[in-house]
Amino acid sequence: MPDTVVQPPIPTAQVTPAIMQALRDIVGEKGLIADEQGKQPFVIDWRGSTVGSAAVVVRPASTEEVSRVVKLCFKHGIAVVPQGGNTGLMGGATPWPNHSGIVLWLGRMNRVLDVDPVGYSMTVETGCVLQNLQETAASHDRFFPLSLGAEGSCMIGGNLSTNAGGVQVLRYGNARNLVLGLEVVLPNGEVWDGLRALKKDNTGYDLKHLFMGAEGTLGVITKAVLKLWPAPKDVCTAWLAIRDPQAAVEILSGAHSASDDNVGSCELMSRAATDMVLRHIPGVQDPLEAETQWYLLLEWSSSRPKSHGAEGMSEKLEQFLAIELQSGRVFDAVIAQSEAQSRNMWRIRESVAEAGRADGPSLSYDISVAVSKIPEFINKGIAAALAILPGLRPLPLGHIGDGNIHFSFAAPKGMDRSTLHQHAPAVTRAVNDLVTSMAGSISAEHGIGIDKLDELAHYRSKVELETMRTIKRALDPKNIMNPGKVLRLS
Amino acid sequence: MSFHDKLRAIVGDRGLITGEQGKYPYLSDWRENYLGSALAVVRPATSQEVAAVVKLCAAEKIAIVPQGGNTGMAGGGTPHQAGREIVMSLTRMNRILEVDPIGYTMTVEAGVILKTIQQTAADHDRLFPLSLGAEGSCTIGGNLSTNAGGVQVLHYGNARQLVLGLEVVTPSGEIWNGLRALKKDNTGYDLRDLYVGAEGTLGIITKAVLKLWPKPKDTATSWIAVPSPASAVELLSGANSASEDNVTSCELMGRQGIDLVLKHLSGATDPLANRHDWYVLLEWASSRPRRDGEKQGGLGEKMEAYLGEAIEKGLVVDAVLAQTEAQARSLWALRDNHSEAQKREGPSIKHDISVAVSRIPDFVEQGVAAMKTALPECRPVTFGHVGDGNLHFNCQAPPAWDKPRFMAHADAITSAIYDLVVGYGGSISAEHGIGQLKVDELAHYRSRVELDTMRTIKRALDPQNIMNPGKVVRV
Repeated sequence: MPDTVVQPPIPTAQVTPAIMQALRDIVGEKGLIADEQGKQPFVIDWRGSTVGSAAVVVRPASTEEVSRVVKLCFKHGIAVVPQGGNTGLMGGATPWPNHSGIVLWLGRMNRVLDVDPVGYSMTVETGCVLQNLQETAASHDRFFPLSLGAEGSCMIGGNLSTNAGGVQVLRYGNARNLVLGLEVVLPNGEVWDGLRALKKDNTGYDLKHLFMGAEGTLGVITKAVLKLWPAPKDVCTAWLAIRDPQAAVEILSGAHSASDDNVGSCELMSRAATDMVLRHIPGVQDPLEAETQWYLLLEWSSSRPKSHGAEGMSEKLEQFLAIELQSGRVFDAVIAQSEAQSRNMWRIRESVAEAGRADGPSLSYDISVAVSKIPEFINKGIAAALAILPGLRPLPLGHIGDGNIHFSFAAPKGMDRSTLHQHAPAVTRAVNDLVTSMAGSISAEHGIGIDKLDELAHYRSKVELETMRTIKRALDPKNIMNPGKVLRLS
Repeated sequence: MSFHDKLRAIVGDRGLITGEQGKYPYLSDWRENYLGSALAVVRPATSQEVAAVVKLCAAEKIAIVPQGGNTGMAGGGTPHQAGREIVMSLTRMNRILEVDPIGYTMTVEAGVILKTIQQTAADHDRLFPLSLGAEGSCTIGGNLSTNAGGVQVLHYGNARQLVLGLEVVTPSGEIWNGLRALKKDNTGYDLRDLYVGAEGTLGIITKAVLKLWPKPKDTATSWIAVPSPASAVELLSGANSASEDNVTSCELMGRQGIDLVLKHLSGATDPLANRHDWYVLLEWASSRPRRDGEKQGGLGEKMEAYLGEAIEKGLVVDAVLAQTEAQARSLWALRDNHSEAQKREGPSIKHDISVAVSRIPDFVEQGVAAMKTALPECRPVTFGHVGDGNLHFNCQAPPAWDKPRFMAHADAITSAIYDLVVGYGGSISAEHGIGQLKVDELAHYRSRVELDTMRTIKRALDPQNIMNPGKVVRV
């Protein structure tokens, strides 16, 4: 959490021994963690940068238990922090330091309830680990496209609550586009059953979209009907050494038609970010020794199996890369010849966050601008940050097809965390001012949580903030649901 | 100053209609099912004027019925009869503000007619895919407020999926500028998706940033006779891979509807020699132009080959492929004129329902039986977007019956259909919305928790209940 964030007022009601007993009666001994050591993993965020506290961690096993727990908390005005895999980057699932309520951990609700391959849908509980859902879909010859670095531990409830992005947004959209229906426990403990599997349903306000991206501040997502797609049958992954970000934008632009609209992913990586992964993550190999500052991970995929004698994705990609090499946009390229080679390329991309944590103190901005403005943003953004703190080491990368850059900087060599954080507000202001002047977003996919509470308030209009607050106050009148996240109420 | 004078001070003489004759077209819905009454019809020319009018109405506690092209099917844009509301027509806000072909976006005012948007996109070699029967008169603000569907949802999604940003005038008369053109933006609650589909009950959409797509360069359209709805579903299922995921429309139509269109639409002819019970209008489109000498051929050849196989399998009885754009247009006219033909034929009841795609054949069979049980002489007219699981499962009055006589049976027929829909886990309003037509139906079929949550949102954002009151949910 940025040191400058001042904690907003949150409910102060205590979990009394009687309430503790009532919680135990609902979830059983197995569902409660009250000792300090046991609570530790649930009150510290994944990066170790936000440390909170909680009276107890409650681990319900069913929607009914969630409902009863929330009803109890509603009655006594006790604050509830819902949590999934605890892999968020904005502290949204971490309780505030003086939180006196509960952490509601949903990882025991981890059943896949129904897979309908014919109807291309899957009904799941909120605590299912994303990777398990990907595998479940694959075992039915279907595809659930949400994919991101934390997929081995993040949970679908958290993915939906934060409207997660990831590496397939380009083709399939954000998490909110992958959902047909939801079940949500409201702040008063009532259960909203919106588990509909319909493609079209214009019956009143779209509550589903309100709960998605609300980061648990309007209710607890307990189940979801997810959309499935045909499984990719012909996939080709390549690692490109490229001239610069402008080249990346142009390569992507041409790739759409060259692949017959089969671009699955297009990830820009700076050499600095790639080197950082190679330094810290064991077993990862550099796919290409090349003299360049920029790489591109490009994947084309089709649900149509490659038929005999016909051109598949790899032939099409090869032809495309030959032209791009001649144009000078691509310096060198390697096409993965095996699943292992492809996995290695993806591992580099997906291990950036983990490597960053091992590398030392850093600043990170998850921004988006129009795709065509990415090169300009990277140039100006680096210049603006270095003007404030010379010696910052830029590590940009991102989902360029979505206009989304993870704009990170490692601390200048030898600078410790607290010194870096003294400079952070000025760098943040410069980067976010630039984003805003380019009509972009200061949080493209990671959300607001705790970390960007004040940034959102700074950049959004009074009308917009007031409308959000009105909704929050109306649906959660006692402010017990993940209080003090996303919005300050006063 | 009288209320009319205060309105005139904001919108000018041109923006105010107070005479009974002038107001009339704004007080009745397109199907003439509702006739309301209004203090005035106000036609603001800018977002600022909209905001000023709403502020005035908020101060004077006068309710506002926002209206676009007035082509809705559920009475959402029609005022109540009490006459204490104003109608706010957005049709003067009809400018296209920006087209960005490189960024694939277009920024428009709420009152632009859908067809104008389609044509503007085409002029820039782009596609705006929203397409429906009323496209020549409906406006984009109404399309977004009702989350309109139409004939290309299968490929591109509902109106909700076609919009990146909105500008909305709130019930207190503030302007929310959410005109962002970003693909990714996780900064707080998704207000956009709350206003889309709220039918003007939470605020007035005044501008929108729309998404554009590459313009199709190779299109194939065919008119296909199928033995049954089950064959139609199977035909579509195979079409997805045969076309390489280029199916953009798949519309099912029963013979009854075709007969009505042929009877009422001048110049319409049956594309096939013999009569059949069921038809499919199938369209494939790709943004990739046909390349000369290509061995695989274009979509037309692919569709022809696919239909040939389907005839052998018995999925298709007969089919004709449009050879020219004019032929394709005349096939589409048979589909697009169903609502108009039903209106000219006489009274009818509409049911805009959706169920899982695979359950459509069973639903049609049971639904027709249910209708006939409720009123044996009635004429079921079924057509719709089979790929979305969405049917217009309508009921035409028996020949020569007048409206009162027929409407006496309406509740029984509708209840039978909706009960069946709910039993199938379906929706009682797939794309037309709730308006005033289905307020009671929604209250009947939705859970108390869901209705309470909607009411809570409505009360919070519109505490005086001045924004299209009595539509969607009663507070």
